[in-house]
Amino acid sequence: MTEVHIASPLRDYTQGASTVRADGATLAQLLADLDRRYPGIRFRMIDEQQRIRPHIRIFVAAREARDLAQPVAAREPVHLLCALSGG
Amino acid sequence: MVARPASVDSPAALSADERQRYARHLSLAEIGESGQARLRAARVLVVGAGGLGCPAALYLAAAGVGTIGLVDFDRVEESNLQRQVLFTSEDVGELKAERACARLAALNPQVRAIAHPIELCAANVREIFAPYDLIVDGSDRIGTRYLVNDACVLFGKPLVSAAIHRFEGQAMSYVPGRGPCYRCLFPQIAEGTLPSCAQAGVLGVLPGVLGSLQATEAIKLLLDIGTPLLGRVLVYDGLSMRFDEFRIARRPECAVCGDQPSIHAPQDPPGFCTIEEQRRVPRILPAELAAALARAPTGLRLIDVREPDEFARAHLPGAINVPLPGIEQQGFSLSDEGLASGEDAPRGERAAHRLVFICRSGARSLRACALVRRTAGREVLQLEGGLLAWREAVDPTLAL
Repeated sequence: MTEVHIASPLRDYTQGASTVRADGATLAQLLADLDRRYPGIRFRMIDEQQRIRPHIRIFVAAREARDLAQPVAAREPVHLLCALSGG
Repeated sequence: MVARPASVDSPAALSADERQRYARHLSLAEIGESGQARLRAARVLVVGAGGLGCPAALYLAAAGVGTIGLVDFDRVEESNLQRQVLFTSEDVGELKAERACARLAALNPQVRAIAHPIELCAANVREIFAPYDLIVDGSDRIGTRYLVNDACVLFGKPLVSAAIHRFEGQAMSYVPGRGPCYRCLFPQIAEGTLPSCAQAGVLGVLPGVLGSLQATEAIKLLLDIGTPLLGRVLVYDGLSMRFDEFRIARRPECAVCGDQPSIHAPQDPPGFCTIEEQRRVPRILPAELAAALARAPTGLRLIDVREPDEFARAHLPGAINVPLPGIEQQGFSLSDEGLASGEDAPRGERAAHRLVFICRSGARSLRACALVRRTAGREVLQLEGGLLAWREAVDPTLAL
């Protein structure tokens, strides 16, 4: 299981949890599993063309992932970053 | 290193008063007397005198940054006081930029505080930015964030930016030619995609943390000390009390700082309307609207421009939901009235309705009114003070 850190604007989907766990050997699989556990969260990050939305950045072990095929190791934390607008 | 004016590179000696005031800085090898003189000669513009801008400006003034500009067209509201620490209860209703500058001058009379009580836009951003060495972005609208970023890239200004949401904040710095800009991090965001603090809430002390980080970064960049937040985004989570840092790279395809940029001049965000346009919007008070609805309910069409989840929680009877971002992006048409309400009245009859725009506190409905007046030429009214005022004056049971 991979530790997934949830950006503040996405926590409505995780009942407020800032860190959750999900399974997957690739980022695509991990996000699919995340969506099974927290329905709707994937669409907030990935568009219909399977691209990461421009206000979302995903980091695997603190390195940016731009490809959903990127492998994810169980021990590498995934951070989901979302743009914030408040000031 | 920030390009500094000649006066910064050959500063005059500090006075006895300055040596006393900044004694703790003078003890720091990284600052000392020459660094303090550089701060005195520096000119920093803070965009937004809100949650972030207030603490950032306070610390910059206390640190002795010689000239601090503050851009904000807004007025102080009661709900600002929970986090906007430059203001007191007595300031409610006053222009933020002016009150903030008065407070900075009281804190440190050696600082020149300049109020810019106007809305930053593509037409004025070059002129406003020109006299300043560095920009601190504490704006609360994504469109302004891009305007500020693009202007900094195009005009070669260093930028320290931050943003907040509930218990989380992000910060990064940009120096021309030395790393990614804000658009490299988030290339494009449509207005309304992200909830504002008014919608989502924010811990009052959160912008204090992020604004203080911005002031720290600004001072470091002005003095060319330490390691700035270039090519890194810092994420702070107040609930779990952790800081995370992520490396980000400049995007060669970035629309403004990339290899073949498509943005060559600052742009206003979609749906931009001036404060003057908003000032000209006719208003209606809650009690007046209640009386008008009782007299002739069919003569008015209530348009609630809040987000669907806010609308679902509570709304006025008969109101239809047309969220502001949709009006900003696509405009407002007669079909919005008919489709959203399921009404099948003839078009001419619907067009005779006077549109009353409603939101939570009045800010979003004011923008909607200004846009609809300009683009659709419709007679509009804005519910002054929004549903908060309605709850106060008409219906205390309204569960917002």
